[in-house]
Amino acid sequence: MSLDIARSRSGHGFGSAGWRRALGSAMHFSLALLGLAVVIQAFIVVQARPQDLVTGVHGMADLIRRAMPPNFSALPSTFWPTLQTIDIALFGTLTGVIIALPLALLAASNMTPSRFAYYGARGIIGFTRAVPDLVWALLFVTAVGLGPFPGALALGVHSVGMLGRLFPETIEQMDMAPIHALELTGARRIQVFSHGIIPSILPSLLGICLYRLDENIRSSLVLGFVGAGGIGFQILTAMNLFQYQDVSLLLIIIFVIVLSAERVSAALRERLA
Amino acid sequence: MLRVRELSLRYPNGKLALSNFNLDIAAGEFVVVLGGNGSGKTTLLRSITRTVMPSTGEIWLGDTNLCALEGEKLRRARLALAMIWQHASLVRRRSVLANVATGTLGRHYTLRTVFGGLPASELEATLGHLAEVGLAHLAGQRAGTLSGGQAQRVAIARALAQRPRVLLADEPVASLDPEAAEEIMRLLQRLARSENIAVICVLHQVELAYAYADRVVGIRDGQIVFDLPRDQVPRDAVHRLYLPEAA
Repeated sequence: MSLDIARSRSGHGFGSAGWRRALGSAMHFSLALLGLAVVIQAFIVVQARPQDLVTGVHGMADLIRRAMPPNFSALPSTFWPTLQTIDIALFGTLTGVIIALPLALLAASNMTPSRFAYYGARGIIGFTRAVPDLVWALLFVTAVGLGPFPGALALGVHSVGMLGRLFPETIEQMDMAPIHALELTGARRIQVFSHGIIPSILPSLLGICLYRLDENIRSSLVLGFVGAGGIGFQILTAMNLFQYQDVSLLLIIIFVIVLSAERVSAALRERLA
Repeated sequence: MLRVRELSLRYPNGKLALSNFNLDIAAGEFVVVLGGNGSGKTTLLRSITRTVMPSTGEIWLGDTNLCALEGEKLRRARLALAMIWQHASLVRRRSVLANVATGTLGRHYTLRTVFGGLPASELEATLGHLAEVGLAHLAGQRAGTLSGGQAQRVAIARALAQRPRVLLADEPVASLDPEAAEEIMRLLQRLARSENIAVICVLHQVELAYAYADRVVGIRDGQIVFDLPRDQVPRDAVHRLYLPEAA
């Protein structure tokens, strides 16, 4: 019996269990230090100056004072940009669904016809998701000019990435037993698809689409800031012209749109569940 | 009706699942297959449906060798082979009637059935099949809301909608309570006779085999140990099917 083991078993000295404990403590301490270092570097990099929040209170109060009361007389002129904002999201979501659905079938491991198709589809989905919708909007504004169309295209392409990630997950989690059962009845592939696969996954897919529409409505507001139309563009214009009462009206409209979209989407998804 | 000749199947991992297997089943006959886990019972059914391809041998359905078929010919041949499993394998979000009607899809290739519609010409017959299993009153109900026994009866109605010549059942009562299990076995026995269907039913419940089968086939290590009318099957022979290898 070695001396270390003998010491450890007799309860004297610093045996292997003691070393493990010491090593564990050192590891925890190092990780805590590393975590602290990460937080501190973030504060330095973003040039965080909490005192500015205090000194900036006056500026913020002045902005709010100038924005009140909201300019409700401009309400009729906000109808069109509001409709544009919703329609950008609607068009973007529909485009995304139409492109994402076939890609998702290729990118689902239990449906894909070949590994080549699987990785090809995953690659396209990954790329469209990796590029933010704001960057897509800038690219499309450059390509097709200002207005709601580049915004809708941007949301469509980015939605392909987001839906293309969630659709295959839903398809892969589908219970395959009814599908195999249908195949064995002698049904053709397309019939298995329409009578087995679609009814099994449709409610989940619709839920994802509604959630995406909800997200796209929020995104379409932001896309206006880069010239892609809608209420975002109106806010940018009003800010540039110092028309803060118009800005506050537009913010109220945004609040109503976002809240309504969220409630309607949640209610519909609940019904589908 | 169904003849299995010198059937052998070796899985890619080298395991011999079936070895020189021979079996004849006539129309209207109810055959129960008994055997321990891994004895080859399910592999036999999967070979007949050609979900797996046997290594050697032939499976004749009438004058068609199922082992020689591929693609469209295999699909057409499968119309005559209905299968039910331990779990009913229904599309849970569709109605009972829609699930049963899917059994008829293989015979129809209309635009309507391609886009998820049901073959209208078959709906009345489908209701008849549901009535046959005693569930016509649940036609409009969602399949996901059924009890295990009811779901299994719907699966049997879907199998009937196929108008099969052979019905294969892989442990159809394994997840059911004793009363529901007896009900399903009675139903399978009745259908074999009234519809003149050859039924092969894989079971673990020996008493059900003694109660309902016309013939009992015992399998061990992919080979037939006995193939006898139910009243001639010795209890100790059945017992030996489930003994460990060394015994």
